Amino acid sequence: MERQACMKLKYAVIPAWVVVALSLSGRVTTGWASPADASTSLKGTAKFEGTAPKPSPIDMSADPLCAKARSTPAATEDIVVGADGGLANVVVYVSDGLSSHSFPPPEQPATLEQKGCQYRPHVLALQANQKLEVVNSDETTHNIHPTPNNNREWNMSQPHGVPLEQSFAREEIAIPVKCNVHPWMRGYIAVFKHPYFAVTDKNGGFELKNLPPGTYTITAWQEKLGTQIQKVTVAAGESKPLDFAFKQ
Amino acid sequence: MRMKITLASSALVVTLLWRVAGLAQESHIGKLVGHANRGKALYRRYCVFCHGEYGDGTGESAPYLDPKPRDFTKAVFKCRSTPSGSLPLDSDLYDTISRGVHASGMPSWKPLLRQERADLVAYIKTFSSAFQEEKPAAPVPIPPEPPSSQESIKRGGELFQSLNCWSCHGKDGRGHGPSAASLTDSKGYPITPFDFTSGTRFKCGDSDPEMFRDLVTGLDGTPMPSFANAMTPDQRWDVVHYIRSLHVSRKHSEVKIQSAGQ
Amino acid sequence: MGIGTLKGIVLQLLAVGGLFAGMPSAYGIPAFARKYGLPCSACHEAWPMLNNFGQTFKDNGYQLGNERDAPIYQQPAYWPIMFRTTPVWHRENNNRQAIDQVPGNAGSGLVESSVTTSGFDLSGVDAITAGTLYKNISFFIQPFIGNSGIMLAQAWARFDNLAGTHWLNFKLGKFELDEPISQERSLTASNTGGGYYNYFFTPPGDNNFFGGIGFPQLGAELLGHSENDYTRYSVAVVTDSNGATGLPSNQDYDVYANFNQAFEVPWFGEQQVGLYGYFGESPTYFQTSGGSAIPGTGTGNRSFYRLGAYGHWYVNKFDFYTFYMHGSDNVFLGNSVPANQPAKLPLGAVGPLWNGGFVEAHYNPNPRLVVIGRYELNRMSRVANQTIRSNAGNADIWTAGYRWYPIMSPRAGLAWTQEYSRSTNAGAAPLSGKDDIRNSLQMGFDFDF
Repeated sequence: MERQACMKLKYAVIPAWVVVALSLSGRVTTGWASPADASTSLKGTAKFEGTAPKPSPIDMSADPLCAKARSTPAATEDIVVGADGGLANVVVYVSDGLSSHSFPPPEQPATLEQKGCQYRPHVLALQANQKLEVVNSDETTHNIHPTPNNNREWNMSQPHGVPLEQSFAREEIAIPVKCNVHPWMRGYIAVFKHPYFAVTDKNGGFELKNLPPGTYTITAWQEKLGTQIQKVTVAAGESKPLDFAFKQ
Repeated sequence: MRMKITLASSALVVTLLWRVAGLAQESHIGKLVGHANRGKALYRRYCVFCHGEYGDGTGESAPYLDPKPRDFTKAVFKCRSTPSGSLPLDSDLYDTISRGVHASGMPSWKPLLRQERADLVAYIKTFSSAFQEEKPAAPVPIPPEPPSSQESIKRGGELFQSLNCWSCHGKDGRGHGPSAASLTDSKGYPITPFDFTSGTRFKCGDSDPEMFRDLVTGLDGTPMPSFANAMTPDQRWDVVHYIRSLHVSRKHSEVKIQSAGQ
Repeated sequence: MGIGTLKGIVLQLLAVGGLFAGMPSAYGIPAFARKYGLPCSACHEAWPMLNNFGQTFKDNGYQLGNERDAPIYQQPAYWPIMFRTTPVWHRENNNRQAIDQVPGNAGSGLVESSVTTSGFDLSGVDAITAGTLYKNISFFIQPFIGNSGIMLAQAWARFDNLAGTHWLNFKLGKFELDEPISQERSLTASNTGGGYYNYFFTPPGDNNFFGGIGFPQLGAELLGHSENDYTRYSVAVVTDSNGATGLPSNQDYDVYANFNQAFEVPWFGEQQVGLYGYFGESPTYFQTSGGSAIPGTGTGNRSFYRLGAYGHWYVNKFDFYTFYMHGSDNVFLGNSVPANQPAKLPLGAVGPLWNGGFVEAHYNPNPRLVVIGRYELNRMSRVANQTIRSNAGNADIWTAGYRWYPIMSPRAGLAWTQEYSRSTNAGAAPLSGKDDIRNSLQMGFDFDF
């Protein structure tokens, strides 16, 4: 009886050790296959309550090539409210409920563009170790300088058309990005360990797709207005609405 | 049998982890091997009053210093031979300790024994787990320097313009370009771009190859970026020559070439 | 030395209290710490004793060479001034002093007796101002405020790194010679054990103007050193007045030279060896007017020298000084006879010769504690004439003590010190010709702002 229990323990010990070792080598993704018929969807809007603050204009005259590259005048982007009060550039993501599964980063790179001497998108979300392609579509030379707390800091000068590829190894919400040459430029990069995140569009809309059934904590982060948290339970095939409201 | 495999394998894992951790307690600079436990006593004697007990740059003297002492817990260093974003090599830290950082509160510690400096490097690495979790990238190659010439200086000046160096360093290289007033280092402290005309020696070494290297590695933790992708090696040498020609208070060959051409 | 013995000594020292008065001058300079934000321990093994970093800083003209040395980089409120004094309790004893048999009665005859005195005391105050006037121009002014008034112990200015090289530094003024082991930075301060015996020794019966390499001298010095200070040389030309101002002695000059070389030994640390020598001529008589000597007209010069070798050895937390001196004075100086009256030389007169030195050990487990032990000796190999005892001037001196620094900050310094020193001067008792034994016990603060 005891010997059998002992054997059971051994069986338990070895696989766990194997998993730990292989996880350290980063080669295994544990079983988190999204069920084919999961078809879950968390869809909603982030809204700004109250009167939307007016963006301030940005003076880009220090670099004539910036003004040249723009078709519209530039304005600050820290709070962007669309028609019907939709709040853009809010990062919505699963912050709890995924247990300790690991998710391989997608092959497709995420792209950050410097256009008209501003970052496009203003807030970019990607996965840890996912390739980040930085593109300079402006004639002027930018330097791209993320200032993370939980990732390695780097700072690269990038003339027009020169390719640049980087990645971030650890989760961080969110890394401020700046250009030292053009001090008004400001962007954010949010890095996740998993693929369940979205950034709201100009109407504040987002969708988190294909979450396996379960209970999750969903967080919404905005660079000036802070975070909002909601708990949600989703069953197989279910589509649930999820809305966030921010105010100043 | 399974038990034996488990034990043996666990022992192997533990040994490997311990060895990696042990390596992080050592530094290797050429033939020198430094040890963190000996470096700790040296740190308390020489370094703690600026760099702080926890290596985070908050020593007693720190509020009165500008630029601020390095925060070792972030493992971000200005003077390296590795690409931007990478940890420094042990020899980079050793060189910074030996050379000091010109025009700052960090003196040259050459009067310390070489072994003592190596021990300090080993101890400094213990302040950040990054030194255990990552390895530094390979050092950037520095090709031989082509001779200086009027053309090289002119090309360097054009690159200084097109790559927006002037936006921080100013059109005349005095360090007050249009962006200069807004610059902060990565800890949020105001920082001024280098004044190339001042005659002050460059912080990470004052020779042409060291300047070339700084252009490739960038000065991490500051607004000075890496130009690894932005210039070819020959273009970087042109920029080095151009910068030397601005240093009018010292007798560089570039200053003579420049004034001869005028 | 076993822990038990050390404990015993420490307990003995703790059992008695002492105040100290006497030896001026030993300093750590908090003004430098304040200027650069470095702690005392960066430059001082245990202040006032310098480590190699501090010695390099000093040889550079009190500059770190980081382009922040010139006064323009300092806040206007920064003043390069510091104060140092030692309030102590001390006890002095002399085992064979000549005293009147009946106190107050000079005719009662002299006897030898042990004489002891003790109490709280003050050493006087060093007010030092030192630093840079400009990049590569440094200075040092040290007024000492003591019981007998204010005297200028040192005052000099120096051009550093001439022609852009650290091999040429030129100093002019009144300065401490570039001694093998700095007297001004000695870790001990008691009456008996404060100064290095050989630095101040002149044989009995000798009237040499020159008092010893421990006295600050007036002159000019050229000093050079390698970048990390491992190789050093200095040559000084000084006026032969033993540092006395007003040109009191003569028109001649003495020369002092010092050379040392350090090297790094794996595991042990830095080791240093060196050679030094002081070569000079002193006057044996003066021109007179109405029988009184006219200052500055010293003539009848006769030669003398002091020379030797030394070392500084590190073994991890221990370090040792070893020092040797060979001294020689001319026969006229040794017998106090004017050179123009050779007939006055006593029978068998010769120039005195002597050999001396010391071994000093330190244990420095951390920057806030140093334990010191020293043994010094001096042996006359030849006394000046037959009326002088062959062992007159022989001495053996033992000193032990410790310094503990409760605070270590870039602003000010404080040390708690205890020290015991015992000297034996062979046959120097005034009446019996036995050994004259003196001891000092002192305990107190040494503070520095």
